[in-house]
Amino acid sequence: MTRHALDLLINGESHDVMVEPHWSLLRVLRGELGMTGTKENCLEAECGVCTVLLDGKAVNSCILLAEQCSGHSIVTIEGLGDPEHLHPLQAAFIEHGAVQCGYCIPGMILTAKSFLDECRGHIPSEAEVREALSGTLCRCTGYQKIVDAVIAAARQLNSWPEEAKRTS
Amino acid sequence: MGFSFHRPETIDAAIAFARDHGEAARFIAGGTDLIIQINRRRLAPRHLISLAGLGLDTIVETETGYMIGAMATHDAVVTYPGFQKQLIALTEASAVIGGRQVRNIATVGGNIVNASPAADLVPVLLALEATVELRGSAGVRSLPLDRFLVERGRTDRRSDEILTAVRFDKPPAASATSFLKAGRRKAMEISVICVAAHLVHNGKARIAIGAAASRTMRMPEAEALVEKQGAGAFRAAGRIAAERTTPIDDVRSSARYRKLLVATLVERALAACADRIAKGGP
Amino acid sequence: MSSHQHRVAGKRLNRLDGIGKVTGKHVYAADFALPGMLFGKILRSTQAHARIARLDVSKARALPGVRTILTAGEVPQIRFGTAIKDRTMLADGEVRFRGEAIAAVAATSLEIAEAAVRSIEIEYEPLPAVFDPEIAMTPDAPLVHSDWNSYEALPVFAREGNISGRSSIGDGDIERGFAEAYRIYEHRFTTQHVHPGYTEPRAAVASWDGNGDVIVWTNTQLPFDMKNMLAEVLDLPASKVRVIVPGIGGGFGGKLRVGVEHYAAWLARKSRRPVKLMTTSEEELTDAYPRQPTVVTLKTGVTSDGRLLARQGRVVIDCGAYANSGPATVAIALQVLAGPYRTPHLAFEGVAVYTNKGATGSFRAPAGPMANFAVESQMDLIADDLGIDPLELRLRNVYREGDKGPAGEALASVSIEECLTKAAAAIGWNERKPGAGRGKGIACSWWLTTGGSSGVYVRINPDGTVTLVSGAVELGSGALTGAAQILAEELAVDLADINVTDVDTHSCPYDYGAQGSRTAFSVGNACIAAARDLKRQIFEIVAAQWNVPADDMRLADKSVISGERRLSLAEVAALSQRAGGGLISHGTAIQPMPAFDPNRVKHHPLPAWTSHSYHAHAVDLSVDRVTGEVSINRYVVAQDVGYAINPTYIEGQIEGGVAQGIGQTLSEEIVYEDGRVLNANLTDYKMPTMMDMPRIECILIEKPSVNGPYGAKGVGEPPCIQPPAAIANAIAVASGVRVQSLPITAEKIALPRHGDGE
Repeated sequence: MTRHALDLLINGESHDVMVEPHWSLLRVLRGELGMTGTKENCLEAECGVCTVLLDGKAVNSCILLAEQCSGHSIVTIEGLGDPEHLHPLQAAFIEHGAVQCGYCIPGMILTAKSFLDECRGHIPSEAEVREALSGTLCRCTGYQKIVDAVIAAARQLNSWPEEAKRTS
Repeated sequence: MGFSFHRPETIDAAIAFARDHGEAARFIAGGTDLIIQINRRRLAPRHLISLAGLGLDTIVETETGYMIGAMATHDAVVTYPGFQKQLIALTEASAVIGGRQVRNIATVGGNIVNASPAADLVPVLLALEATVELRGSAGVRSLPLDRFLVERGRTDRRSDEILTAVRFDKPPAASATSFLKAGRRKAMEISVICVAAHLVHNGKARIAIGAAASRTMRMPEAEALVEKQGAGAFRAAGRIAAERTTPIDDVRSSARYRKLLVATLVERALAACADRIAKGGP
Repeated sequence: MSSHQHRVAGKRLNRLDGIGKVTGKHVYAADFALPGMLFGKILRSTQAHARIARLDVSKARALPGVRTILTAGEVPQIRFGTAIKDRTMLADGEVRFRGEAIAAVAATSLEIAEAAVRSIEIEYEPLPAVFDPEIAMTPDAPLVHSDWNSYEALPVFAREGNISGRSSIGDGDIERGFAEAYRIYEHRFTTQHVHPGYTEPRAAVASWDGNGDVIVWTNTQLPFDMKNMLAEVLDLPASKVRVIVPGIGGGFGGKLRVGVEHYAAWLARKSRRPVKLMTTSEEELTDAYPRQPTVVTLKTGVTSDGRLLARQGRVVIDCGAYANSGPATVAIALQVLAGPYRTPHLAFEGVAVYTNKGATGSFRAPAGPMANFAVESQMDLIADDLGIDPLELRLRNVYREGDKGPAGEALASVSIEECLTKAAAAIGWNERKPGAGRGKGIACSWWLTTGGSSGVYVRINPDGTVTLVSGAVELGSGALTGAAQILAEELAVDLADINVTDVDTHSCPYDYGAQGSRTAFSVGNACIAAARDLKRQIFEIVAAQWNVPADDMRLADKSVISGERRLSLAEVAALSQRAGGGLISHGTAIQPMPAFDPNRVKHHPLPAWTSHSYHAHAVDLSVDRVTGEVSINRYVVAQDVGYAINPTYIEGQIEGGVAQGIGQTLSEEIVYEDGRVLNANLTDYKMPTMMDMPRIECILIEKPSVNGPYGAKGVGEPPCIQPPAAIANAIAVASGVRVQSLPITAEKIALPRHGDGE
């Protein structure tokens, strides 16, 4: 199969990559671009660790073709915050002890971000958080502190929207 | 595993490409099922024809009914304002397909064309007596969804036909729908059994069952019983439905347990409809 | 909760590695890559038991991009294993389970490697296979290992044919005990294969350097064990093997032993390029280290007021085709089965058996949930029959301070009564059946804190920071953060002043490994030892400066203080570096082995536990009247942690462990049919999602241990022990249905009640 050039908009930057048409977005991110913040596991959209944002919505990058993403905006964990300026979700996950091994965490944070963006200021209930994030599995935490972190981040984003905009 | 990826700019161009390449080409909607089948080496198309960007993703309310474009995502169905009352079963079913990440990409058309007997949205559409619209090199045609579904993995679609939309009538105000699903966990489940019911006050009853046979099935005997005898027949309707299904033993469940679930969920779905009618909404 | 006055230890502080993990910068073994790296894939058997009649790799070799192919003939057939050296890297002419590795390929891309594997031609001659361990242990069963007698094994284990190990614990006179019993109960319980379910696949990258040394970057829990094991399989001195753990995405025991490291190392050796392998979900569910399935039979004689008199039981563990930790696990099962109860007459036997299914291993609290499911389910059955409240029955029989355990060892810091009463109070025990279809259940257990030694190097730097060098892997539990909190406490610095280095067998001191609930305990103790020595060094230096005896000095506020005089640790470190090579110390720790009665045990590798923990779980759940679907309303855990080094991460261990326990109880199972896994994917291997988990209410009890740092006890494993029994007991109350096999699916509850839709 011949490769051809594909332009992908990732974290606000344009990336020109040579891809084979059957490559998943995950493969391009991790293999071609060295962006290993997005994780790899089941490769069948069953675990959610590969979650990225496509036009702001959480999607499984393992079964999305890179080709399908051309012309759309992709956000990975690398584009969310950095050690000096953590996004409120990232800070809340640390504060609430929601991070153990951490392998599901990039996917979990982006799943949460997609959900909180849709909430538009509404502070979600625990049941709503659990339903919205149920497509991302965690084996370490039992989920409880993750739920607490997401609700705490929602509160923070709601109280200080200006500050949140600077980091989101 | 290699294939070429094509982005036709019009529906006609997509159809023409499919006609020219026959079985070597497949349409790709969201791809959430197709890509997994290709990765598992169950399918090996040489060309994928993307249906994105062809304007097939809208949901439109007409005077008499609704049209859901085949490329509308499950997430779009879940959040569509017009589906929150009498038609709420559409959102109840769409909301339990995979996880949110899948629902943001996977489409209504894909769910139908896949023809999995466990598809969650299909029973609701069958209970609403939906029709599907197909467009191919031989032109446009419509047929009832019930005739479009053949068996597991097979529909009446020809290889160059695109499922473009699914349509159903607006139900009357004094009516309700409901959808129930059984699985081993509360999310990320392929249905062990799923049931959709549509009841019109003093009118018709429609019941459809998924994962209990080689395709999603309507239950005409159970429907007739309910139309004749009303709420008193809900339990009997469930029993008849269970008797008419032909579920299998598999790693998810035994056939015996599936029959128990059919009987129970049919009764409960009908009761939920009756309750919603009485309360004037869900 | 605790009355201590600590400044850093005991506090809910943020973990040290959190920022890297939330920003995606933390590198896991699965992320690791080297330039010029090849990708490896394994050809796996499609037969459960067969001879390999023909193996033709010529088509694979001819594929462009294929660099190396290994079959059994091209590598020395070295047998390895934990208890028994029964396994080779590639099948030695005979495959013993469906999924066993036969050949390994390295190619320039994963796709080419996969295509190469598919093009390998193989023919089998089927051999008789056995899948049921109770059949496999009979004399006429087909042998899984016809050469079993030639294998090297640890002498403690008793082996015969398909039996890979037999252990026993006994006390008193079992026949007399039953003769005196008011009533005798006999029950049988079965448990299933479950997978540890880590979200990061097993991965390894191996590269050989110019000196003939191999470096392996991998996500192992036991880097020093892995180093030795690889040295064996590669036929090298251990000093030429270096294991580095960049980061690990969960282990739970499934990453203790070799996974793909040996393939990577051998393929890299032959191809002379770095090679990476990573497992797929399908491989994880067919050739990994899932929890062993068991059959437990338990016969118990009691007095009329519910006191345990005599207990006889047998645990049969299905090891699969390679014994791995089966023989040791079945021995540990006996202690779980015994306790935490006083029983005058005891006769327990454990049997580990080979079958032609995938190998198994030590998943979090090995043997714990299986044996506890049996003993704690039976306690309720006994209670119901005698008309005694199940909590009361337990309280009448539990261990008390100073009692002796099943192997005669003295028990100290016994807290089981407190755990039970607090859990019961929290769940509202006086109302066991709050409504139709709703019920409460309780289960208790005890567990050990695994021994083994740990060493650390601690260095105080001239900038005031402290470097902690440990060979212990941070699995995610927060154990290294906890150890660092203890170190910070001892040295009067802040947690943020501590840097924990990477794990590298070349430069880190030895650690027995991240297993058995031992890491925070053992590394914490090693840190205390290192700090003690550092204080000695510091006081010596300052004593010379101030002409003040060491007894008049103390550490506080990152400084040495004596009266009005103060010198910062940073300055002392600078002084030492200039004059004496720097402030650095080596601290080590190991738990003393308790005395026990050797007459009570036979062939038991771990007869006496140390630093026992005690715990009780209570659950309130509802069962759908018809479908049998279970919904958990509340879940309470009362766990004696000795000392809560960091309550947030201890709660994290409890919440996560209970989630795994709930998965084992209600939905998870690797389903085998005639040696074939039917659900080797995450669609049908059903781990709990966020919607399946209730909130867990944690009650942390602190009854200090004798040996632990600040009195801590091991905390990581216990939480997954009790869920099966607690939930089974509650289901029995809620639905009237008693299920004695795991998982307890809705179907198993519904069908006995409702048959065909009645």
